[in-house]
Amino acid sequence: MTVLLYAPKPARVRVDERGRPVAAEGAAVEAVREEWLVEDRWWTPEPIRRHYFELALSDGRCEVVFSDGKDWFRQRA
Amino acid sequence: MGYVELHCHSGFSFLDGASSPHDLAAAAAAQGHEALAITDHDGVWGAMEFASACQPLGVRPIVGTELTVGAPVPGTVPGTRRPFHLTLLVESAVGWRNLCLLLTEAHAHTRDGSANEGGAPRTGTARRDALPSLLPLSSLEQRTEGLVCLSGCARDGALAGIFERARGLPSGADSAAAAALGERLVRAFGRDNFRVELQRPLWRHDMARNRWLAGLAERLGVPCVATGNVHAHDLSRAALQDALVAIRLGGSLDETGALRRGNSRSVLRPPAEMALRFADYPAAVAESGRLAERLRFNLLSDHGYRYPGAEDEDADRELAELCAARFEGRYAGTPERREAKRRLEDELRVIRKLRLSGFFTLHADLLELAREVAREVRGPDSARGVLPPGRGRGSSVSSVVCYLTGLSHVDPVRAGLFLGRFLNEELTDVPDIDLDFPRDVRERLIPRIHERYGPERSALVCAFPTFRVKGAVREFGKALGLPPTEIERVARSVDGWAGENFESDVEVAVGGKRADSTRWKALVRLVREAWGLPRHASQHSGGMVLATRPLNELCPIVPAAMEGRQIVMWDKDSCADAGFLKIDLLGLGMLSAVERCVDEVARTRNERLDLSRIRLDDPEVYDAIRNAETTGVFQIESRAQMQMLPRSLPESLDDLTVQVALVRPGPIQGGAVHPYLDRKARLREDPDYAIPYEHPALEPILSDTLGAIVFQDQVIQVAMALAGFSAGEAEGLRRAMSRKRSDEAMAAYAVRFVEGAVANGVPRETAARVFEQIRGFSGFGFPKSHAAAFGLLAYQSTWLRVHRGPEFLCALLNEQPMGFYPPDALVHEAQRRGIELKKPDVNQSGVDCRVERVCEGDEGLVVQIGLGYVNGLRKDDATAVTEERERSGRYSSLAELASRAGIRDGALGRLAWAGACESIEPDSEGARREARRIALWRLGVASGAGPRGQLSLPLPLPDAPELRELDDWEVAVADYASTGMTLGTHPVALLREELDGVAPNADLAVLPDRRPVEIAGVVVARQRPGTAKGIVFMLLEDETGVANVIVPPPVYTECRLAVRTAAYVRVKGRLERRGKVINVLANSVSPLSVPGQPQAEVRTIEPDPVHETGRPLEPAEPARVAAAGALAAVAPAAQSFGGRG
Repeated sequence: MTVLLYAPKPARVRVDERGRPVAAEGAAVEAVREEWLVEDRWWTPEPIRRHYFELALSDGRCEVVFSDGKDWFRQRA
Repeated sequence: MGYVELHCHSGFSFLDGASSPHDLAAAAAAQGHEALAITDHDGVWGAMEFASACQPLGVRPIVGTELTVGAPVPGTVPGTRRPFHLTLLVESAVGWRNLCLLLTEAHAHTRDGSANEGGAPRTGTARRDALPSLLPLSSLEQRTEGLVCLSGCARDGALAGIFERARGLPSGADSAAAAALGERLVRAFGRDNFRVELQRPLWRHDMARNRWLAGLAERLGVPCVATGNVHAHDLSRAALQDALVAIRLGGSLDETGALRRGNSRSVLRPPAEMALRFADYPAAVAESGRLAERLRFNLLSDHGYRYPGAEDEDADRELAELCAARFEGRYAGTPERREAKRRLEDELRVIRKLRLSGFFTLHADLLELAREVAREVRGPDSARGVLPPGRGRGSSVSSVVCYLTGLSHVDPVRAGLFLGRFLNEELTDVPDIDLDFPRDVRERLIPRIHERYGPERSALVCAFPTFRVKGAVREFGKALGLPPTEIERVARSVDGWAGENFESDVEVAVGGKRADSTRWKALVRLVREAWGLPRHASQHSGGMVLATRPLNELCPIVPAAMEGRQIVMWDKDSCADAGFLKIDLLGLGMLSAVERCVDEVARTRNERLDLSRIRLDDPEVYDAIRNAETTGVFQIESRAQMQMLPRSLPESLDDLTVQVALVRPGPIQGGAVHPYLDRKARLREDPDYAIPYEHPALEPILSDTLGAIVFQDQVIQVAMALAGFSAGEAEGLRRAMSRKRSDEAMAAYAVRFVEGAVANGVPRETAARVFEQIRGFSGFGFPKSHAAAFGLLAYQSTWLRVHRGPEFLCALLNEQPMGFYPPDALVHEAQRRGIELKKPDVNQSGVDCRVERVCEGDEGLVVQIGLGYVNGLRKDDATAVTEERERSGRYSSLAELASRAGIRDGALGRLAWAGACESIEPDSEGARREARRIALWRLGVASGAGPRGQLSLPLPLPDAPELRELDDWEVAVADYASTGMTLGTHPVALLREELDGVAPNADLAVLPDRRPVEIAGVVVARQRPGTAKGIVFMLLEDETGVANVIVPPPVYTECRLAVRTAAYVRVKGRLERRGKVINVLANSVSPLSVPGQPQAEVRTIEPDPVHETGRPLEPAEPARVAAAGALAAVAPAAQSFGGRG
């Protein structure tokens, strides 16, 4: 069986009306430290589009989450 | 002013920009940008096009560049050794001048290999590859006035690049290095003119980078400015941008992920959206608007160009004196004298008014230089010496001043040429002077002009090869990782340049299922989007700009690929928009061929031909023209011309002038051809036939062309006479017709034309009908003056073909590639009319082809093919063989050839396989069919016998064992493989026995009209002209002659593979005769195969589906099998499928 290291895991994220995270993994977002976008592999049947946020959370954690347009995932920073 | 985009790349960043300046300008207008800057990498190639595109749309263009700067002196500033980018924007005319000089310097060594440290200088090559441009920081520091400098992009910018290389974690040393470099730039540009550039490409460390840069800006005491680093005009082009970068990096999209932009955000967005993107830095957004307010330099009006010689107070007098001195020599005692005098005075007045006298004297001076160069090239005693060094073409031929100063060889008064297009008082577009030169004179002249006027005062105009379908398929196919065999199959099967049916072409080539896959669909989309974008810069065929003040202050000058040449960064349209005066120095193959022919005639017949004195009404010449016996002659040799000649039946030079102009897209689309031909036929039958003109006012203008619009200048005259246009307005209409993207301009002219004509009392419908003819003309047409110059050359070359046939053929063979037919077809046609040719022979041939006299009389002349025709034989090897023979006599044996000529084994093998050694030891080998095999065998024995594998002593070679004779096919295969032509039996004659029911082409002349026929032959040419509504024309040659085949669109669709790719075809169809013009209208076209010959199969190799999609596909469709029989090996290399003729 193949085990993917750093494979994204589903995340619980709440967003505002502009689609930006206001809470993640049960904690409020204190600040967006970085925000970036990866769009790639459009020439294959499985194009990638991920909108990433590096978040400082109210409980002191730092989380990197991304949305693929449908679901939210958590990824190691 | 809110956000203004100050960092934007167009396609002129070459493989780093996915939109044309027009698209950017239009998108900027649509999105509500007040102004937009263009900052292509290391150049202003597209700046003028951008400025011209912006102006009518109400977007204010700002020009600049993203410059690659380096600090090549080690240790000057720590951390700056790697080249970095700076964004430079032009504020004033001084700034533009400085930018031009900086870019000229940045490119100065891009062709000599010394730009990069450690790069080995390359010298001695005729063509030089481009190295990246680079400007030393110290040079930049010398020329900063009038320029605003931004610190550069997020990845490679002067400051941000340091952050990026530290992977988002700059050390204290990195920050110190950035501050030091920043301070140096602040010192160079001043605090008012240097800004720290913030970008938000939505990359991993954007926010940290901008915080770091903002801190740096504070430390430097300068504001930040927000920019978007735009690479396309619209989100939809982001994929194309990715693919272009992959091409630039030479890898596939899969391989180049890290170096691409990573997302679609680097595209032009509305100002409000950009302001929102930089919500953390409102001051940086405001600063972009403040800077834009300051950047008021207008490239269209402020670049500072003046006509060369405009400052010379004596130029008017000098030009008048020059013309006066030559006037009587040309016109004394002629009936044209009075009219010529009037026109001369009128022209001189207009020239004075336009301050163009200096321009004309400069070009007269240039022509003197051309004379000097021609004397050197031709040699002091050459028979070519009587020919002028070059000839005018184009509209300048209509000027008396040009005729007198030697810029044109046609008397415009006698030829009735109209001056308007070339010179008029409201001139909006400065006149071009076009001069045709023999190729060898031109090659020498261009560097001499650079020498004479100085490297900073003369340069060639550049040209931008654009993405066309075939090339784009290959490049994008590779970037997408598609299988090379399939890419090649698609590239070969696409139609035309524009790929109108590209999607279905792909389906036919790779099958519907494959074509439906994501990658192939991506290819279709990319090829469409890239069509027309500039691929790289190259040199124009001969347009040159001359200036009396340094040109590199007006437009950057860069070295061209060819040694000794340099180009300005603008193409001919941009140069015209800038008002630069250009002279076109064109190399014309036919002029070279005529010169060679004159030399050859002098050698073989001891006769000095003066083509300016041959009679211009020679009945034999006109008989040949009317019978379309014009293979090889200038202009009227193409398939389309040959079809028309027996109908138009030219009888004079005037007829020929119309004839060469008629077969052009303009007259064809404008519907001029059939009315002209019909009326000409009627006039022949009834000399009193009254030509129907659309309006009486058109009669004086269109009488030469029987009421049809054939010449470009007639458009101008019609607009003036019918619609009351001024000369300047009419010229504007002509320009709108010939420019790209001119639909809107044409619509505006249509309204003005019709209203103007109605005001002149012309019925509205008539006016609209005439304008439709003009609109149809939009494609391309010759001015009459140009056609007159070409018509004369067509006549002269026909004269040579008729009266000096062997020498003319020989000259054509030596000037290849040129003209419509490949050498194989020229040779076969010559053989059919009795000209004798001999194949290459080490004991007879020179390097070039030449005519040998074997006995007295015209029949005693034989064309000996030169050793230069042996494929793969190097010129120095061919020269060594001929020089040694001239020095020490014939070669009497192979061993002697091998030892005396001192050439490589491979070269000897090539000569032997071409049959060039058959005259050696004739008793033992020459008469035998196995001679080539024996020669090769013995040469094989000889190799390895001496140092470097070549014989140094003429030792006798052992006899060859029994070798099989070459059969006829093998001889033909060897001929084509070794020389690209056969002088022996025509391949179709070898097949004749197998071709049941196939008529020889010669029989078509006697078969009844509309009869079903079947013919077969080698495809000499195939064309699918844009003007022919999908019809394909083919020329098929067999041993008896050439036949015209018309393939209608349904038959083409059915038999496309054969029509497009087969070397030999069999055509079933119906004979169609119209007077002397015979065509076969095809019902089917199939590839011809050779019974009993081994066949090769080209099979589709399906790509690994797992690689393609990540999962296995369903079973593929059956592989397509294309038979490529032995016939491909006996076909001439050159076959056209394009716009010629």
